[in-house]
Amino acid sequence: MQPTLVANHLTKVIGDRTIVDSVSFQLYPGEVFGFLGPNGAGKTTTIRMLVGLIKPTAGSATVCGFDIRRDFEKAMRHVGCIVETPDLYRFMTGRENLEHFARMLGAPAEEIERVAELVQLSHRLDQRVGTYSLGMRQRLGIAQALLGSPRLLILDEPANGLDPAGIREIRELLRKLATERQMSVFVSSHLLGEIEMMCDRVAIIHHGRILRDGPVKELISSRQEMEFRVGDVERAAQIVREKGFEFRADTDRLWISIDENDAPSLVAALTAGGIAVFHAHPGGDVLAGDGRRDRGLVFLAYPEARSAEGSPVAQREPCDGRRAWRADRCATGDPSLRSG
Amino acid sequence: MLPLIQNETLKIIRRRRFAVVIGILFAILAVVTYSQYRQLRDRANRNWRADIQQRIAGYQNTVRRGRINETWSRSLRAEINRLQFYLDHDIEPDRPTAPLFVRNFANVAGFLLLPLLIAILGSDIVSAENAEGTDKLLLTRPVRRWKILTSKLATLWIFATLTLLCGALLSYSVSAPVLPRAGWTAPTFTGFQVTRGAFSFDAVRQLPLWKDTLIAYGLEWFALLCVASISLMLSVLFKSSAASIGTMLASLIGGTILLASLIGGTILTRMSPDWTAGKYLFVSALPLADYYTGVPPPYEAMSMWFCIGLLGAWAAGAMIVSYVIFTRRDVFG
Repeated sequence: MQPTLVANHLTKVIGDRTIVDSVSFQLYPGEVFGFLGPNGAGKTTTIRMLVGLIKPTAGSATVCGFDIRRDFEKAMRHVGCIVETPDLYRFMTGRENLEHFARMLGAPAEEIERVAELVQLSHRLDQRVGTYSLGMRQRLGIAQALLGSPRLLILDEPANGLDPAGIREIRELLRKLATERQMSVFVSSHLLGEIEMMCDRVAIIHHGRILRDGPVKELISSRQEMEFRVGDVERAAQIVREKGFEFRADTDRLWISIDENDAPSLVAALTAGGIAVFHAHPGGDVLAGDGRRDRGLVFLAYPEARSAEGSPVAQREPCDGRRAWRADRCATGDPSLRSG
Repeated sequence: MLPLIQNETLKIIRRRRFAVVIGILFAILAVVTYSQYRQLRDRANRNWRADIQQRIAGYQNTVRRGRINETWSRSLRAEINRLQFYLDHDIEPDRPTAPLFVRNFANVAGFLLLPLLIAILGSDIVSAENAEGTDKLLLTRPVRRWKILTSKLATLWIFATLTLLCGALLSYSVSAPVLPRAGWTAPTFTGFQVTRGAFSFDAVRQLPLWKDTLIAYGLEWFALLCVASISLMLSVLFKSSAASIGTMLASLIGGTILLASLIGGTILTRMSPDWTAGKYLFVSALPLADYYTGVPPPYEAMSMWFCIGLLGAWAAGAMIVSYVIFTRRDVFG
């Protein structure tokens, strides 16, 4: 099967800073590919190189076999994208925006109705984009990207500004596009949970380099991590260790890799050991064993509820499993990240 | 290319830029028409020959006193000769009529007003996309960057043309109700020349007003296309719309003040005669319609063809810079 997108050692150096360092990956039809990394990891710069906004210092990118620099027009005909923010012409209506981009593609007028229908924006299409909410602009951006039936969709942080229901809609839409139309979807995000729910395969980028690239299931285990707030963390840790569970500890909390069904017996053991258990609840997924030992990936496992960067949406919906990145903690050796 | 131009046109209209330009034109023309109307009323019972003779005498006195610089006195001598010419041929110059109003609009507005309006239209055609973040979408469609820039340049040229046409139409429709409407065939005299300090009638041609008007508008049109091209360059160079519009307005107004000082000798009197590099500024060549009518350019060496060539060279240079930068640069956030 011919890959839809090939990034071949893409590198961008500005001054003496290497922003993206020899990034390579491939996307195949029908696949949703996640590009995961903290802010400033080089995600957006990589995307800008993929869509021809930035000239790579070295390396190349091809879309459906066409080099993005040499065959720009042929390559971009197969690409729909949103880079960073879904900035459209605010002084024009949604329809005028779609007409504008359809004209650039030579796409027929019926397609505007079709893509608007797809992102459920038909009812607001004749209002000015300036009056849209961020979520609606995000959807209009996706509609715009779908014009011309591209084979590759590149979306930079598509969940930004969407409420949980909106995120779910987008997720379902992207899945549908991948399975029904065999599109390749490239999604970047700094939220682990989002990538996990949306993608088949994920590449993790940090400091401009790809640390890991593989199926989501291999990188992120589906085993639940539960948060326990206990009276005496040190003694509790001892008991948990004896029971054979992996965990991380904070001053008054433990995050334990444990199946919900095993929780009652652990709570019983803790109580029997004279340790007060104030609460215990699911705290999301953890990285698979191999990933956790990888120093670069440690920050992935940090629960978003404790992060100042975590979006309010994520905090209100912990079962969504969204966590913000805390690469900085990783670097300073935050005690809460120490593995059990 | 046509769909791209359609897109750019839609953007200018939706941004209400053109509506603002037409509004400004209308307001200014209305005020000037009113003053012309007052002038016409005042003139009704006056002897224009006596007026002209008085003006000539006044200019002659100024020149004789000799306390003005060379450029200024040269232009005064030209004006004296021009008025004398009308007197000798028994033609009343400058009598307000609607056709003459249209004709003079090319001169008066071509000096500063129209270039300013074109700058307002053009200076953010690229930078606004940059500032609003829409360039990321515009440049990731399967259209080469040079085509996008060409569509923007073509659109600017179209709107420069429209602005000039609207100016002409507005000046007629605003003035026609109050000023005499006839007069398109009235004789006009153009091509007064000053060569080596002497006034020459050799090149003076008598043209019907409509023909003279067409020539003046043609020259003005060329000048405005060049202004549009320079606006495009600034729009490419600056990331913010305010910076590009500001720079264009500053260079137009600054250049005009400099030019006025060169011709009028008011501010930089001592600087003017020796500072020859001034003739290579694009603003020096901008009042093409004025030079055509007979207003002497600030430097003797500036012939009509020199001015046209100079403007063309500036426009070509601006386009080269625009294309090279726009097609090669990295687009960051």
